[in-house]
Amino acid sequence: MTKKSLIITIVILCAGLIMTGCPKKTVVKEEPSIKKEEAVKAERGPISREKESKAKEGLEKSLVAKKEPGIEGVVFESSLLKDIHFDFDKFDIRPGDAAILKGNAELLKKYPNVKIQIEGHCDERGTVEYNLALGERRANSSKNYLISLGLSAGRISTISYGKERPLDPGHNEEAWTKNRRAHTIITAK
Amino acid sequence: MLKYFFILFSLLIIVSPLEARVYLDINAPTFVQIPIVLTKWKSVDRTPPSLSEKVYEILANDLTLSGFFKVIDVHHLPPSLQEREGIPNTSSLPEWISAGGEILLSGEALLESDGLNFKLKFHLFDLVEQKHIVGKQYEGPLPVLRSVVHRIADEIILQITGEKGVHNTKIAYSVLQGSGKEIFIADFDGANIRQLTRNQSINLSPAWSPDGKKIAFTSYLKRNTDLYMIDVDGKNLQRFLSYPGLNVSPSWSPDGKQIALMLGMQGKSDIFLIDTNGGNPRRLTKGHGNEASPTWSPDGESIAFVSDRSGSPQIYIMARDGSNVRRLTYEGSYNTNPSWSPKGDRIAFCGRAEGRFHIFTIGRDGSGLRRMTSNSGNNENPWWSPDGRYIAFSSTRTGVSKIFIMNANGFNQRGLTPSKGGESGPAWSRRFE
Repeated sequence: MTKKSLIITIVILCAGLIMTGCPKKTVVKEEPSIKKEEAVKAERGPISREKESKAKEGLEKSLVAKKEPGIEGVVFESSLLKDIHFDFDKFDIRPGDAAILKGNAELLKKYPNVKIQIEGHCDERGTVEYNLALGERRANSSKNYLISLGLSAGRISTISYGKERPLDPGHNEEAWTKNRRAHTIITAK
Repeated sequence: MLKYFFILFSLLIIVSPLEARVYLDINAPTFVQIPIVLTKWKSVDRTPPSLSEKVYEILANDLTLSGFFKVIDVHHLPPSLQEREGIPNTSSLPEWISAGGEILLSGEALLESDGLNFKLKFHLFDLVEQKHIVGKQYEGPLPVLRSVVHRIADEIILQITGEKGVHNTKIAYSVLQGSGKEIFIADFDGANIRQLTRNQSINLSPAWSPDGKKIAFTSYLKRNTDLYMIDVDGKNLQRFLSYPGLNVSPSWSPDGKQIALMLGMQGKSDIFLIDTNGGNPRRLTKGHGNEASPTWSPDGESIAFVSDRSGSPQIYIMARDGSNVRRLTYEGSYNTNPSWSPKGDRIAFCGRAEGRFHIFTIGRDGSGLRRMTSNSGNNENPWWSPDGRYIAFSSTRTGVSKIFIMNANGFNQRGLTPSKGGESGPAWSRRFE
């Protein structure tokens, strides 16, 4: 089964929530059992009072709530927070990926209340425990780079999934390349 | 409960002077399996034949799984001997030579008139020397029958190899379910499969507490890789360690006073020692590498672990205080998951060769590297049995990942259970007796 089919995904379109920090309730429907991916349009929040930058609107619109079975909390994913990738058995940030992290950092600087968690992932080769160590390092490499760009450490947590959550379940070079990644989720808005 | 299980007594009836003879040196790199004749067990008085048949079946399977024997069961006996049941007189032993075995095992089973308790009696004979080796009697309530038969198998292995078997041990492992992994345990012979966790999270890398009462494992329940403990009956799930980042791969010191494990609190995985209450973390590995999978030497003086400080993951050994680090493996560019043999002399690990992962063993001084798996598929996560005569590991040779067991010389590789796969991370318990 693919990861997507297992994660209950609810699209939250809640413009104005983040920028104003207004207490409007975000409703997340939580399914009690594992079901196919499901996109539910939540109510659109009130039109923003102030014109904010397009990037900001973009982030809010892009947020997708995610609840994973057996893992505490509802988190958010955004297509604007890009993944970076790694070479086999490596955890250093490649130049092209540094540019991607800069983009992520620029976006996050506009939302000082947003807290993120960086997930370190590995391909399926190698043992569970060594891949957990490698994923830990990939997440922390990314975290440290974001800190060097001016984000505060208190906003960033890390977690290693090792080889437990492959994006592509394939057993080939193409899948492995996709799976060696650091992925960013939003844990608090 | 456990106590109740082991309230059964074994009564030594006769032990011949030959007891100390070792028929099979299983520490030799190769050995020939000893042919053992299993005669039909007798059902005493009004004991239903199904009881004797069950005992016979478990025993024959145990002796086969041990890897030390070539079992000659009733179906492989000459017709004239197939129906001969019970315990023969020493004087009748010449009649059994045609069966082709060197050892003969015979026995009888009795179900007490209450229908709740049993008595088992076995006698072991040397067909080459035409001598009696040992005879013992056991009794207990029916729910412990299987465990008692395992004790008989262990006793036979003691008589033949000089050391008791491990039939009363269990193996913990994790199994893919949905998007997560759950912790399971099974007996050495694959019986009594039990699911311990049912939380849909990712539960992995199990290890047994030294007393065999708890399983430690890592779970993502709280969105951190925390270490949990659960009783072997699936009760009392407790979060044991929750430092930020990794809390993975606990290895209890032989004296039971400390735990070595991977902690990620420094922003990368390092080997730490903690007290058994989870406190007082001391970082053992310095430097910049990723450090993983600690395993204690049985004398409690050293810890083997994985480090990629040289640029690729390799096995290293350090003293228990983190000093005297030396590299153990030089062959291959990817060596992980060390497991120190309880006998102390060898370390098993997972290494990459020809693009696949295989189980290797190596001497603690770095000599005598041996590859134990050679088939297709990946073979990972070696873990020694408490007697150091078997290695459990995971293998994808059948197309799915399953737990396998082999003798320490690489022979007799077999799947633990008839499962559909998705299994990883075997951990072997102590003996339960």
